[in-house]
Amino acid sequence: MKHQTKLSEEQQQPSRQVGIEQQTQQQSAREFANAEEMLRYDAAHTTVPPGIAQRLQKSTGQPGAPPPRSWWRNLLGR
Amino acid sequence: MNEPAAGCEFVEESPADLASSEFSSLYAENSRAIYYLALRFLGDPQKAEDATHDVFLKAFRKLDQFRGEASLRTWLYRIAINHCQNLRQAWHDRHMFSNADDAVWENAAAKTDSPLRVLEIKELGQRIQKTLAGLPDEYRLLLLLVADEELSYEQVGTLVGQSPDAVRGKLHRARKTFAALFEKTA
Repeated sequence: MKHQTKLSEEQQQPSRQVGIEQQTQQQSAREFANAEEMLRYDAAHTTVPPGIAQRLQKSTGQPGAPPPRSWWRNLLGR
Repeated sequence: MNEPAAGCEFVEESPADLASSEFSSLYAENSRAIYYLALRFLGDPQKAEDATHDVFLKAFRKLDQFRGEASLRTWLYRIAINHCQNLRQAWHDRHMFSNADDAVWENAAAKTDSPLRVLEIKELGQRIQKTLAGLPDEYRLLLLLVADEELSYEQVGTLVGQSPDAVRGKLHRARKTFAALFEKTA
Protein backbone atom coordinates (compact mmCIF):
# COMPACT_ATOMS: atom_id res chain seq x y z
CA MET A 1 0.00 0.00 0.00
CA LYS A 2 2.99 2.21 0.34
CA HIS A 3 3.41 4.54 -2.54
CA GLN A 4 4.97 7.84 -3.40
CA THR A 5 2.83 10.87 -2.95
CA LYS A 6 2.66 13.50 -5.62
CA LEU A 7 3.15 16.07 -2.91
CA SER A 8 6.71 15.25 -2.08
CA GLU A 9 8.09 18.53 -3.40
CA GLU A 10 5.48 20.64 -1.70
CA GLN A 11 5.82 18.85 1.61
CA GLN A 12 9.49 19.57 1.96
CA GLN A 13 10.37 21.99 4.69
CA PRO A 14 11.44 25.36 3.36
CA SER A 15 15.19 25.72 3.68
CA ARG A 16 14.98 29.38 4.54
CA GLN A 17 12.55 31.81 6.00
CA VAL A 18 10.00 32.95 3.49
CA GLY A 19 7.35 35.62 3.69
CA ILE A 20 3.79 34.93 4.62
CA GLU A 21 2.56 35.70 1.14
CA GLN A 22 5.02 33.35 -0.41
CA GLN A 23 4.03 30.62 2.01
CA THR A 24 0.40 31.17 1.15
CA GLN A 25 1.19 30.79 -2.53
CA GLN A 26 3.06 27.56 -1.87
CA GLN A 27 0.16 26.18 0.11
CA SER A 28 -2.48 26.99 -2.46
CA ALA A 29 -3.93 24.81 -5.19
CA ARG A 30 -2.71 21.58 -3.69
CA GLU A 31 -3.86 18.49 -5.47
CA PHE A 32 -4.39 14.97 -4.23
CA ALA A 33 -4.76 11.93 -6.42
CA ASN A 34 -7.28 10.26 -4.13
CA ALA A 35 -8.94 10.40 -0.75
CA GLU A 36 -6.27 8.40 1.08
CA GLU A 37 -3.55 10.72 -0.10
CA MET A 38 -5.49 13.68 1.19
CA LEU A 39 -6.17 12.00 4.52
CA ARG A 40 -2.53 11.02 4.82
CA TYR A 41 -1.49 14.62 4.34
CA ASP A 42 -4.12 15.80 6.80
CA ALA A 43 -2.96 13.25 9.38
CA ALA A 44 0.66 14.28 9.00
CA HIS A 45 -0.35 17.85 9.79
CA THR A 46 -2.50 16.96 12.75
CA THR A 47 -0.98 17.61 16.15
CA VAL A 48 -1.77 15.27 18.99
CA PRO A 49 -2.87 17.36 21.97
CA PRO A 50 -0.17 17.18 24.66
CA GLY A 51 -2.87 16.93 27.28
CA ILE A 52 -3.49 13.30 26.36
CA ALA A 53 -0.04 12.20 27.45
CA GLN A 54 -0.36 14.16 30.66
CA ARG A 55 -3.71 12.59 31.43
CA LEU A 56 -2.35 9.14 30.65
CA GLN A 57 0.56 9.69 32.94
CA LYS A 58 -1.85 10.45 35.75
CA SER A 59 -4.21 7.64 34.83
CA THR A 60 -1.53 4.98 34.70
CA GLY A 61 0.42 6.30 37.65
CA GLN A 62 -2.34 6.72 40.15
CA PRO A 63 -2.40 4.28 43.04
CA GLY A 64 -5.88 3.18 42.06
CA ALA A 65 -4.89 2.30 38.52
CA PRO A 66 -4.44 -1.40 37.83
CA PRO A 67 -0.78 -2.35 37.59
CA PRO A 68 0.60 -3.50 34.25
CA ARG A 69 0.91 -6.98 35.79
CA SER A 70 2.31 -9.51 33.38
CA TRP A 71 2.97 -7.12 30.50
CA TRP A 72 6.61 -6.73 31.45
CA ARG A 73 6.84 -10.45 32.10
CA ASN A 74 5.58 -11.12 28.58
CA LEU A 75 8.15 -8.76 27.16
CA LEU A 76 10.93 -10.45 29.09
CA GLY A 77 9.66 -13.92 28.35
CA ARG A 78 8.94 -14.93 31.88
CA MET B 1 16.25 -13.13 30.80
CA ASN B 2 19.73 -13.11 29.33
CA GLU B 3 22.61 -11.84 31.35
CA PRO B 4 23.87 -8.45 30.24
CA ALA B 5 27.04 -8.58 28.20
CA ALA B 6 30.25 -7.82 30.03
CA GLY B 7 31.06 -4.16 29.96
CA CYS B 8 27.51 -3.12 29.27
CA GLU B 9 25.92 -0.96 31.84
CA PHE B 10 22.91 -2.69 33.26
CA VAL B 11 20.38 -0.51 34.95
CA GLU B 12 17.93 -2.57 36.86
CA GLU B 13 14.44 -1.28 36.32
CA SER B 14 11.46 -2.05 38.39
CA PRO B 15 8.56 -3.66 36.56
CA ALA B 16 6.63 -0.43 36.81
CA ASP B 17 9.51 1.57 35.31
CA LEU B 18 9.97 -0.91 32.50
CA ALA B 19 6.29 -1.00 31.75
CA SER B 20 6.24 2.77 31.81
CA SER B 21 9.09 3.14 29.35
CA GLU B 22 7.64 0.54 26.97
CA PHE B 23 4.27 2.18 27.16
CA SER B 24 5.83 5.55 26.41
CA SER B 25 7.33 4.10 23.24
CA LEU B 26 4.00 2.57 22.30
CA TYR B 27 2.31 5.92 22.76
CA ALA B 28 4.98 7.86 20.89
CA GLU B 29 4.80 5.55 17.87
CA ASN B 30 1.04 5.26 17.63
CA SER B 31 -0.66 8.24 19.24
CA ARG B 32 -0.91 10.29 16.06
CA ALA B 33 -2.53 7.45 14.12
CA ILE B 34 -5.02 6.70 16.88
CA TYR B 35 -5.83 10.35 17.55
CA TYR B 36 -6.34 11.05 13.86
CA LEU B 37 -8.68 8.09 13.49
CA ALA B 38 -10.67 9.24 16.51
CA LEU B 39 -10.69 12.85 15.34
CA ARG B 40 -11.99 12.13 11.87
CA PHE B 41 -14.25 9.29 12.92
CA LEU B 42 -15.90 11.23 15.74
CA GLY B 43 -15.56 14.68 14.23
CA ASP B 44 -14.89 16.45 17.50
CA PRO B 45 -11.42 17.35 18.83
CA GLN B 46 -12.40 17.10 22.49
CA LYS B 47 -14.13 13.75 22.03
CA ALA B 48 -11.14 12.55 20.02
CA GLU B 49 -8.82 13.58 22.84
CA ASP B 50 -10.93 11.73 25.38
CA ALA B 51 -11.19 8.70 23.13
CA THR B 52 -7.44 8.58 22.52
CA HIS B 53 -6.81 8.74 26.24
CA ASP B 54 -9.30 5.95 26.86
CA VAL B 55 -7.89 3.77 24.08
CA PHE B 56 -4.34 3.97 25.40
CA LEU B 57 -5.50 3.46 28.95
CA LYS B 58 -7.28 0.29 27.85
CA ALA B 59 -4.15 -0.77 26.03
CA PHE B 60 -2.08 -0.17 29.13
CA ARG B 61 -4.38 -2.30 31.20
CA LYS B 62 -4.68 -5.08 28.63
CA LEU B 63 -1.18 -5.33 27.30
CA ASP B 64 -0.73 -8.59 29.13
CA GLN B 65 -3.48 -9.96 26.88
CA PHE B 66 -1.68 -8.94 23.70
CA ARG B 67 -0.62 -12.21 22.10
CA GLY B 68 1.40 -10.85 19.25
CA GLU B 69 -0.90 -12.33 16.61
CA ALA B 70 -1.29 -8.88 15.11
CA SER B 71 0.92 -5.84 15.11
CA LEU B 72 0.60 -3.53 18.06
CA ARG B 73 -0.79 -0.83 15.79
CA THR B 74 -3.45 -3.17 14.46
CA TRP B 75 -4.30 -4.16 18.01
CA LEU B 76 -4.58 -0.50 19.03
CA TYR B 77 -6.75 0.22 16.01
CA ARG B 78 -9.05 -2.60 17.05
CA ILE B 79 -9.48 -1.06 20.48
CA ALA B 80 -9.96 2.41 18.97
CA ILE B 81 -12.51 1.28 16.40
CA ASN B 82 -14.58 -0.52 19.01
CA HIS B 83 -14.40 2.46 21.34
CA CYS B 84 -15.34 5.02 18.67
CA GLN B 85 -18.12 2.87 17.27
CA ASN B 86 -19.57 2.47 20.74
CA LEU B 87 -19.49 6.24 21.22
CA ARG B 88 -21.14 6.87 17.89
CA GLN B 89 -23.77 4.24 18.58
CA ALA B 90 -24.58 5.93 21.86
CA TRP B 91 -25.03 9.26 20.05
CA HIS B 92 -27.21 7.64 17.40
CA ASP B 93 -29.38 6.13 20.10
CA ARG B 94 -29.76 9.51 21.75
CA HIS B 95 -30.21 11.70 18.71
CA MET B 96 -31.60 9.34 16.08
CA PHE B 97 -29.86 11.04 13.18
CA SER B 98 -28.91 9.14 10.09
CA ASN B 99 -26.24 9.29 7.46
CA ALA B 100 -27.02 10.62 4.05
CA ASP B 101 -28.70 8.18 1.75
CA ASP B 102 -25.89 6.09 0.34
CA ALA B 103 -27.55 5.89 -3.05
CA VAL B 104 -27.43 9.64 -3.46
CA TRP B 105 -23.67 9.62 -3.25
CA GLU B 106 -23.20 6.38 -5.12
CA ASN B 107 -24.99 7.90 -8.08
CA ALA B 108 -23.38 11.29 -7.84
CA ALA B 109 -21.39 12.31 -10.89
CA ALA B 110 -17.86 12.20 -9.54
CA LYS B 111 -14.80 12.20 -11.70
CA THR B 112 -12.79 9.80 -9.59
CA ASP B 113 -9.83 9.93 -11.92
CA SER B 114 -9.42 13.68 -11.54
CA PRO B 115 -7.36 15.05 -8.66
CA LEU B 116 -9.00 16.38 -5.55
CA ARG B 117 -8.10 20.02 -5.42
CA VAL B 118 -8.04 22.33 -2.47
CA LEU B 119 -7.14 25.99 -2.66
CA GLU B 120 -6.65 26.88 0.96
CA ILE B 121 -4.81 24.30 2.99
CA LYS B 122 -6.18 25.72 6.21
CA GLU B 123 -9.64 24.70 5.09
CA LEU B 124 -8.60 21.20 4.26
CA GLY B 125 -9.38 19.76 7.66
CA GLN B 126 -12.81 21.33 7.74
CA ARG B 127 -13.68 20.06 4.27
CA ILE B 128 -12.36 16.60 5.04
CA GLN B 129 -14.42 16.47 8.21
CA LYS B 130 -17.53 17.63 6.39
CA THR B 131 -16.95 15.05 3.67
CA LEU B 132 -16.31 12.20 6.07
CA ALA B 133 -19.40 13.12 8.06
CA GLY B 134 -21.50 12.47 4.97
CA LEU B 135 -19.97 9.08 4.27
CA PRO B 136 -21.42 5.80 5.48
CA ASP B 137 -19.51 4.59 8.55
CA GLU B 138 -18.08 1.70 6.59
CA TYR B 139 -16.52 3.94 3.94
CA ARG B 140 -15.26 6.45 6.48
CA LEU B 141 -13.47 3.80 8.47
CA LEU B 142 -12.10 2.10 5.38
CA LEU B 143 -10.57 5.28 4.00
CA LEU B 144 -9.07 6.25 7.35
CA LEU B 145 -7.43 2.86 7.74
CA VAL B 146 -6.18 2.59 4.18
CA ALA B 147 -4.65 6.04 4.56
CA ASP B 148 -2.30 4.57 7.18
CA GLU B 149 0.64 3.38 5.14
CA GLU B 150 1.67 0.99 7.89
CA LEU B 151 -1.40 -1.15 7.31
CA SER B 152 -1.68 -3.69 4.50
CA TYR B 153 -4.96 -4.50 2.78
CA GLU B 154 -4.94 -7.75 4.73
CA GLN B 155 -4.67 -5.90 8.02
CA VAL B 156 -7.35 -3.42 7.00
CA GLY B 157 -9.54 -6.34 5.99
CA THR B 158 -9.06 -7.95 9.38
CA LEU B 159 -10.02 -4.73 11.13
CA VAL B 160 -13.19 -4.19 9.11
CA GLY B 161 -14.12 -7.86 8.85
CA GLN B 162 -13.64 -8.09 5.09
CA SER B 163 -11.38 -9.97 2.72
CA PRO B 164 -8.57 -8.04 1.04
CA ASP B 165 -10.44 -8.28 -2.27
CA ALA B 166 -13.56 -6.89 -0.67
CA VAL B 167 -11.48 -4.07 0.79
CA ARG B 168 -10.19 -3.19 -2.68
CA GLY B 169 -13.69 -3.22 -4.14
CA LYS B 170 -15.19 -1.11 -1.40
CA LEU B 171 -12.24 1.22 -1.45
CA HIS B 172 -13.01 2.04 -5.06
CA ARG B 173 -16.56 2.97 -4.15
CA ALA B 174 -15.45 4.82 -1.05
CA ARG B 175 -13.03 6.94 -3.10
CA LYS B 176 -15.76 7.74 -5.58
CA THR B 177 -18.20 8.70 -2.87
CA PHE B 178 -15.59 10.78 -1.06
CA ALA B 179 -14.72 12.64 -4.27
CA ALA B 180 -18.36 13.40 -4.99
CA LEU B 181 -18.95 14.71 -1.49
CA PHE B 182 -15.71 16.64 -1.36
CA GLU B 183 -16.66 18.55 -4.49
CA LYS B 184 -19.81 19.67 -2.75
CA THR B 185 -17.90 21.12 0.19
CA ALA B 186 -16.12 23.71 -1.98
